[in-house]
This record gives sequence, C-alpha cells and structure tokens, in this order.
Amino acid sequence: MTRTTDSASPPAAATPAVQTRVADPTHWDRHHIVYLQVLLLIVTLTVWEVTARVFNTGFWTSSPIAVAKALYNWYATGLLIGDLKITLFEAGAGFVLGSVTGGLIGFVLGWVRRLGDLFEPFVLSLYTLPKIALAPLFVLWFGIGVVNKVMFSGLLVFFMVFFTTFQGTRQVDLDLVANARMLGASKLQIWTKIALPYSAVWVFTGLRIGLPYALIGAIVGEFVAADIGVGFRIKEATSFFDTGAVFAGLVLLMGISITLLGILKLIERRTMRWQTAQTQPPESA
Amino acid sequence: MTERGQPGEIVFEEACASYGNFLAMGPISLRVRAGEFLAVVGPSGCGKSTLLNLVAGIMKPSSGRVLYNGKPVDGANRDVGYITQKNYCLPWRTVEANIGLPLEFRGFERDVIDHRVAAAIRQVGLQGFERSYPRQLSGGMLQRVMIARTLAYGPATYLMDEPFGSLDAQLRTRMHAELLRLWQETGSTFVFVTHDLHEAITLADRVVVISRRPGQLKMVLDVDIPRPRDVIDAQSRPEFGAYFKTLWNALDVH
Repeated sequence: MTRTTDSASPPAAATPAVQTRVADPTHWDRHHIVYLQVLLLIVTLTVWEVTARVFNTGFWTSSPIAVAKALYNWYATGLLIGDLKITLFEAGAGFVLGSVTGGLIGFVLGWVRRLGDLFEPFVLSLYTLPKIALAPLFVLWFGIGVVNKVMFSGLLVFFMVFFTTFQGTRQVDLDLVANARMLGASKLQIWTKIALPYSAVWVFTGLRIGLPYALIGAIVGEFVAADIGVGFRIKEATSFFDTGAVFAGLVLLMGISITLLGILKLIERRTMRWQTAQTQPPESA
Repeated sequence: MTERGQPGEIVFEEACASYGNFLAMGPISLRVRAGEFLAVVGPSGCGKSTLLNLVAGIMKPSSGRVLYNGKPVDGANRDVGYITQKNYCLPWRTVEANIGLPLEFRGFERDVIDHRVAAAIRQVGLQGFERSYPRQLSGGMLQRVMIARTLAYGPATYLMDEPFGSLDAQLRTRMHAELLRLWQETGSTFVFVTHDLHEAITLADRVVVISRRPGQLKMVLDVDIPRPRDVIDAQSRPEFGAYFKTLWNALDVH
C-alpha cells in the first residue's frame, strides 16, 4: 500500500461527521464566554483603579495606570530588555538542563526496573524536600551570577520532569512488552519502538508541569542574590516601596509564562497528534 | 501469505504450571495436531490461558515439557500469534502502523509491509480506517486490528484467548465465520480458548475440557461436523445439541 491510499473507495469513515451549527450549543456559548471574560477583565481593572484613587490605597496596591507607567519607565530606562534577557536566559537554560537530565534519568530508571527499585527511596526523599530551601546553598556553590540561577532553575525542572517520567514509565503494561517480543521485537526495538514513544508522553507532561518551575527557579535565585533580572527588579522596587514597579514585574512574568506554555502546547499538539485526534468515527459495516 | 513456517504441532508432556507454590494447571498431556482447530473450554480460573502462555513462551512449565514442532519452547515464541481480549495497540500509531509493527520488527522491506498491511486490512474489513488512531475506534474494531496485525505476519499457529468476549452477539457470529475462513485459507494451527460452548463446537475439530483448578484434562471431544462449515448451519444440526450436552456435563457446573 502506498502512502496515498485510495480515499474514495472506502466508506466515509476516518472523517467524522461534521456537526451542524444548530445542533452544537457550545459554539454560541464560546462567543459569550469571551465577551464575558473581556468584560470581567475591564471591570476588575476599573475597580482596582477606582478603589486605589477613592480610598487612596495606591501605596499598597498600586493601580493599573501606575503599573502601565512603571512598565513604560522600566522600558524607557533601557533596563527592561536587559532584565528580560537575563531572566529568560536563566529560565530557558535551566529548563533545557533540567528537562534533558530529568527526562533521560527518569526514562532509564523507569524502564530498568531494578535500578528504579534501588533508587526509588532516595529519589522520593529528595522529592519531598522543599527545593526552595536549597537556594542559599546554591549561592555558596555557584556564586551569585547567572550560573547559580540556571542551576537552581534546572534543579526544580529536573525534579518535575524526572518524577513524572519515572512514575509514568513505570506504569507501562508489561504484557505489552511481552506481546511485542512475541511479535518479533528485538531488545533494541523494544526500546526504540515501545519504550521511547511511551515515555515521550510522560516527558511532555513533565515539561508542562516543569515549565513554570523554570521561571520560579530563576526568580527565586534572583531574589536570593543578584544585580540584574526581573526578579531582582521586583525585589529592588519592593525595597523602595515602589509597588507600581513590583506589579509591573509581576505582569511581565505572567506574560512570559503564558507565552511559553502556549509554545509548548503548540509543539505538543504537533507531535502528539494521536492524543488529540477526534474520537469515534461511525462504525462501518 | 508467503514464507509461513510449518503449521505448529504442540505437545504437552505432563506439563504443570504454577505461580509460586500455587499449582494453577497440570499435569496435562496433550498433542495438538498441526493445522488443527482446537478449542479449550473450562471454568474460569482453571488455567486455560496458562495453557496458551506456555505455548507462547510467556510462562515456563514448572515441571514437564511443552514442545513446539518438536522443540521445547524457550522464551517468546515468534512462530505464534497471540490474540486476547486485551488490546495491545500502540496508541501513538495509526491502524496501519500498528498492523505493520510485527513486520517492522521482523525487518521486512517497506513495500512488502505496505502490501501485506493492506491485504490484512481488507481481510478484516477495516478499509477506510488506515489512518485512524486506536482511540478513535470501537472495541470491536480494535479487536479486528489485533487480528489483522497477526494476519499480517501470518504465524504458523494462532493462539486465541476469548478474543471475541467483548463483542456483541451479531459481530461475534460474523467474526466466527471470518475465523473459519481464515483457518481454511491459512492452514495454520488454531488453539482457541473460550468459556462459550457454542463457540467451541461451532469452530473446532476437537474440544478439550479442562477441570477446575489445578486444571487437568477432563475430556477430549471430536466434533464431526463437516467442513467447510457455515456458522448458522453448524449450530442447527442435530448433533450440535448432543455435543453441547456432553460438554456441559463434563464441565460439571453446579
């Protein structure tokens, strides 16, 4: 069979019947929800602005306009881009470092059962440790520069990706492997055609969980000791009681994580099409 | 299909199987003739599936021997196709990629794989679903994918463990007809485990009754309904009822 199979002859199968607009109530709802969400955002911002002015609480809560101003000032001084670059680099490098090591070790310990059994209690006790507590130690080990943040961010991501991959991979149905052997799979083929794709699902799940931690690691690292970066700027602004600038930093962080998650989802949708494929075409014949 | 091995001849010699200290089955001595359609019935938990596991090489006999074409089974038996109720589809592969899996494992050329997969898909009537993913299919269709996957590499022996247990009655009857045709076409040995006596009599040359645990051979019944059989025809023959009664009594269900 060629890759361009005759799509004309078989019954209309692989393409599920398209639902009509009328029969689909969710379509109408979705529009409504977006409107409501925008409305909610506007109301929230307005309430925030008004209360800050009326009750004069701007010192503690800042206000949307003040935050926007602070963002602009930050940009105008030329510091924003530099801070952003540093923090993004720290989080990005930490993410890659943690993902690669976590995915790899999780994969190996997950599939090589004996090794997994051997290491499990140690891994578990490390996992339960609040990793944030290690931040000061990391300053001692890696200094106050970028390396410290990359390592710390990498550590947080490592545990997320490692643990998800390890646990997920261990759940593999061993009958599936036995079945593959009967179908003629060699040891290598079991690794490449069964184990790797199977674990990939879990690595991806780990990446999704781990991504916010990359940023957390970088920010916490900058809180502990730094002279540049978004986290440093937030801390600095706090010490000057400049709540507008603090919120500006938070807004920026929010933007970054939403963007990153969006990118990750896009990649996942591309590579994991089998998970998102639509269900249940009509039973033929 | 080409280059299939000799249909398997299976010999159990005083074979026992145990899980730990717990004897699940045996001792059983039985010869399954090459090219035969043998059905195995018995109460649940009597070790019917264990019998197949021994032939497939998933389990080792705790004592006695299991010979496949004269040689003791040692490790996963690549000459057999094992079809159970469980679906072993890889969820990240399309239907055609799943069916081609054993051929990939066995190092066939791409065009040979494509050709055989297409043929297998036609045989089980899955045309139009080549590019679907397992999660898009119903239970009955998944079962057909499993059968097609086995067909594609054409094993010398088919081991089936209640393969149609999850299908509805009509689909089951249809699958029975297909199975009979398949058996006729391939000339392979079929060992079919079921708890459904109708199914056993309809399909098999011989029906083996296994006793309650630890499973032992209780009866071997020759089914003399002529071949080729029509599923409905076979079931309406007068001797069908007699076979059913004999097996029912042998099963000793209280």
